[in-house]
Amino acid sequence: MTAALDPPRPHLRVVAEQTWALTARATLATARNPANWLPGLIFPLVMAAVYAAQFADATRLPDFPEVDSFLQFILPSAILQGISFNSANAGSDMATDIETGFFDRLISSPVARQSILVGRIGGAAASAAFQSVVLMVVFLLFGAPVKSGLVGAVALVIISVLLGVALAGFGLMVALRTGSPEATQAMFPLIFVAIFVSSAFFPTELMKGWYQQVAQVNPITLIINPTRELVITGWSWADFAQAVTLTILVAVVSLSLSYRAYLARLASS
Amino acid sequence: MTAKPVVAEGLVREFGELRAVDGIDLEVEAGEIFGFLGPNGAGKSTTVRMLVTLLRPTAGVARVAGFDVVKEPTAVRRSIGVALQDAAIDPLMTGTELLRLQAILHGLGGKVADQRCGELLERVGLTAAADRRVGTYSGGMRRRLDLALALIHRPVVLFLDEPTTGLDPTSRQAVWEEVRTLNDEGTTVFLTTQYLEEADQLAGRIAIIDGGRIVREGDPGTLKDQVGDPTLRVELSDAVMADTAARVLAGFGDERPARAGRLAIGLRGGAAHLAEVVRALDEQGVAVAHLELDSPSLDDVFADATGRRLEGAEADSA
Repeated sequence: MTAALDPPRPHLRVVAEQTWALTARATLATARNPANWLPGLIFPLVMAAVYAAQFADATRLPDFPEVDSFLQFILPSAILQGISFNSANAGSDMATDIETGFFDRLISSPVARQSILVGRIGGAAASAAFQSVVLMVVFLLFGAPVKSGLVGAVALVIISVLLGVALAGFGLMVALRTGSPEATQAMFPLIFVAIFVSSAFFPTELMKGWYQQVAQVNPITLIINPTRELVITGWSWADFAQAVTLTILVAVVSLSLSYRAYLARLASS
Repeated sequence: MTAKPVVAEGLVREFGELRAVDGIDLEVEAGEIFGFLGPNGAGKSTTVRMLVTLLRPTAGVARVAGFDVVKEPTAVRRSIGVALQDAAIDPLMTGTELLRLQAILHGLGGKVADQRCGELLERVGLTAAADRRVGTYSGGMRRRLDLALALIHRPVVLFLDEPTTGLDPTSRQAVWEEVRTLNDEGTTVFLTTQYLEEADQLAGRIAIIDGGRIVREGDPGTLKDQVGDPTLRVELSDAVMADTAARVLAGFGDERPARAGRLAIGLRGGAAHLAEVVRALDEQGVAVAHLELDSPSLDDVFADATGRRLEGAEADSA
């Protein structure tokens, strides 16, 4: 074997291949490890079952939106919960790579630097898509369809993917700053708290005091409410646009943070 | 390729107060196996991490395959193959998947990548296990896959960091064989190890690092010779002849401590004079029951340089 460098191939094509290969790896790792994706399906379903039973009659309260069932009301929340599990995984998988040295293996190769980060984000997007589809199908089987039909379902998948990316950004930031899977998993409850202080499981109109004030300005409320309209009322471009725009805003923030953390890690070596 | 595979001048790396690498000069010649030997925590891995662009030097310059590790890291990465001891392999992926990924990371695509993966799997004897997840591999199989990964792009210089640590003797032999073959084919190998035998077996030239500094450098034979004369131990058939034997041996070197019933000297000039000793003893009618010549080992070289022993030293993680 003589020492000979292979001829260079077109740069963009190489970068695209690398990004795709690393996305595939991230997705594969999630798919092959049930501990990674199963909780993100089971937990939201159990929560939904409990809430739907507990609050079945809450839908008759004055000021409660017009819905078929409480189950239908919390469909977007269940998807959000599932995605938050997965996005925490995107972070902890990255942290595991750092901890085990696989990250070093990647960066000691001439791989395009951005591919490593984008690959992880791509993995989170893929599992968010999977999760939203599965949850919508299960809810449909239990009599909680998306009112806006197939178009609405596609819209929900798009919003879910963007949400997956946005939340993964936070997980990746912690992972890249700390290099610790434990620390990355530890931020997961914070997302949960943020979900609970929002309209995810109850309309803000029925809340009181500081709790209501916080929940009303919580970005999660501002994303969940229009998404929920697509589920319980019907198709509306305005609702779709609001959900997408706000999610993209959150994603811009979280991805900027994770990108800065990534550059800091590359530079600190 | 005219540039030397590895050149380092005054390489320094500090971690806060700690000076892990304290001014290292290195030159590795094309086509050699260079052994970088030292105890855990001596600065081996830190040096290698700087050479493979994973760590920035605090001071000094290093060029690998002719490229500056700080200013031209991508060109360095294209030229080197790296198998780091502490860089794990993703257990959820199969051997083939990992090789394909590695090929893509190096910008190889399509047919070239497929062909190279097939060749390398066969080369390291993993064809049968290629589609199994790496999590099911034995330690030896992982290390061989690691080697294949480092070779995917036919590197100019191969960096092997502790390639056999934790392997059983058979697997160790297999890795050594493969490294020799690669070297015969023209690949320059930069090998770090804490095993004296490994350096002795593989390396044409070694550098011993201790406390972040290089304390000895040269080919193993010369380094051992520099430590001093080998020890000649003689066991006599008949103890009556002890005085005569001692007188004869005194002419070949200084007496060294020996067990009862034996005589030992530091044989001046080394093994070349062994025949003369035997002849002289024979002429004086001394019958020899047993005779052995102990050359200084690399451990003696290490002890001579540092005042400590490497062999059997406590393996604390660096």
